[in-house]
Amino acid sequence: MTYTSSIGIRVNGEVVEREVEDRLTLADFLRNELRLTGTHLGCEQGSCGACTVLVDGSAIRSCLTFASQLNGAEVTTVEGLASEEDLHPLQSAFLRNDALQCGFCTPGFLLTAAEILSETNDLDEGTIREAISGNICRCTGYQGIIDAIVEVARSGSER
Amino acid sequence: MRTLDYIAPESAADAIALLAEHGESARPLAGGTDLIVDLKHSPGNIHILVDVSGLEEFRGIEETDEGLRIGSMATYAEIMENPICLEKTPEVVAASHTVGAVQTRNLGTIGGNLVTCVPSADSAPALMVLDAEVTVAGTNGNRRMPIEEFFVGPRKTILQPHELLVDIWIPKKNLGKPSSFYKFGLRKGQALALVNVAAALELKSGKIVEPRIALGAVAPTPIRILKAETFLSGKKPTKKNIQEAARIAVTESKPIDDFRASASYRCQLIQTLTQRVLTRSLEIATAS
Ligand SMILES: Cc1cc2nc3c(=O)[nH]c(=O)nc-3n(C[C@H](O)[C@H](O)[C@H](O)COP(=O)(O)OP(=O)(O)OC[C@H]3O[C@@H](n4cnc5c(N)ncnc54)[C@H](O)[C@@H]3O)c2cc1C
Ligand code: FES
Ligand code: FES
Repeated sequence: MTYTSSIGIRVNGEVVEREVEDRLTLADFLRNELRLTGTHLGCEQGSCGACTVLVDGSAIRSCLTFASQLNGAEVTTVEGLASEEDLHPLQSAFLRNDALQCGFCTPGFLLTAAEILSETNDLDEGTIREAISGNICRCTGYQGIIDAIVEVARSGSER
Repeated sequence: MRTLDYIAPESAADAIALLAEHGESARPLAGGTDLIVDLKHSPGNIHILVDVSGLEEFRGIEETDEGLRIGSMATYAEIMENPICLEKTPEVVAASHTVGAVQTRNLGTIGGNLVTCVPSADSAPALMVLDAEVTVAGTNGNRRMPIEEFFVGPRKTILQPHELLVDIWIPKKNLGKPSSFYKFGLRKGQALALVNVAAALELKSGKIVEPRIALGAVAPTPIRILKAETFLSGKKPTKKNIQEAARIAVTESKPIDDFRASASYRCQLIQTLTQRVLTRSLEIATAS
């Protein structure tokens, strides 16, 4: 038996090749091995959405995925959203709409929103509420988050 | 988490051989949304994960002369986007839509849902009312069975440790059959079912033909309500008959009291929701 796997993945566009322990979740891999601590861990059992990242463009729970499963995958974390100069339109909209207070949930919301906006800009408030139902925020009461996503959808400015 | 050996076999045969070799210490891994939670909380004796999610034999959704084949490793997201499912099994799509939230639906598979076999599994009732069958593969080859036979008890299926769920088949005659699914949870978002229910039926010369009713979270496994089906068969689609079928569903169920709801509340839900899905199926049958 071997308890490790060698994986080659892209994280925020950069090639990462590592030998990883098979029991290592993607969340722990990102946080502890790559020091990408923007991916947060709340419940660690798939419920809160804080650990949401994009794998090949789809929002998933990084606490419920092993790094070993991802050989060949493209991973986007919150660190990959902004460019050198500019915040991602969603990040700017979150700021403008007071869509965060403590910010713990924010990376997860941003990536969930990024997935839905990558599919369509034709989003009403109900669709957005449904789409973010797997992300929990203890601070904001959600309205600011919804307003921010609506704003980006309306402006069609998602990259 | 304890040390684990992750293996991604290249074929179903290799996966079965690995499972046969390692017995109870190995587990198939699909989307991981049930298994990885279990591994964190109660890993038992599991040391080896055999990733079956990428196996060609278990993937894909297609229509054949026999009917609709849904690979066990189809994710909810795939089912919800699949044009054949959207057109011909819209209530399987509706049930998929009620599972968790988007992050769970992008990873979780319909096969993993059936194998985990909790009484509230949301994909079960919608498949059962379409007379779905499942294919199981093991060291002795493949076998096919009605989905009801697959469920043995809470978190227990008919699968032997070396066996895998390959795919799910919906017979051709039931593609497009008027059907309705309803899930009742404590919240709209990301809640497990207090009760889930599906119905399917046809109307011929003003009479109900081949009615099916299936319920989840009301017994140790998802169940068909055969007595209510027999009662409705050949009857006129009156309000009284529908109420009576739902009453039979209540008496055939054995819901429990738990922290989510009392048994008596669940009984009221069974009555109301069974009426609702039957009425909706009749509306669809009348319109078509
Ligand atoms: C936040 C959250 C919300 C959820 N909400 C719901 C909900 O609303 N409704 C609902 O029904 N479920 C829900 N679930 C449970 C879960 O997402 C589903 O049951 C899902 O379909 C499991 O599929 P999976 O691919 O992730 O399976 P896995 O976790 O990979 O596997 C589940 C089990 O099946 C076995 N297995 C997998 N594939 C095969 C195969 N091909 N052959 C043999 N055995 C196999 C595994 O060994 C394991 O025992 C939720 C889970 C989470 C974390
Ligand atoms: S930490 Fe992954 S969903 Fe909560
Ligand atoms: S801003 Fe604090 S949890 Fe959402």
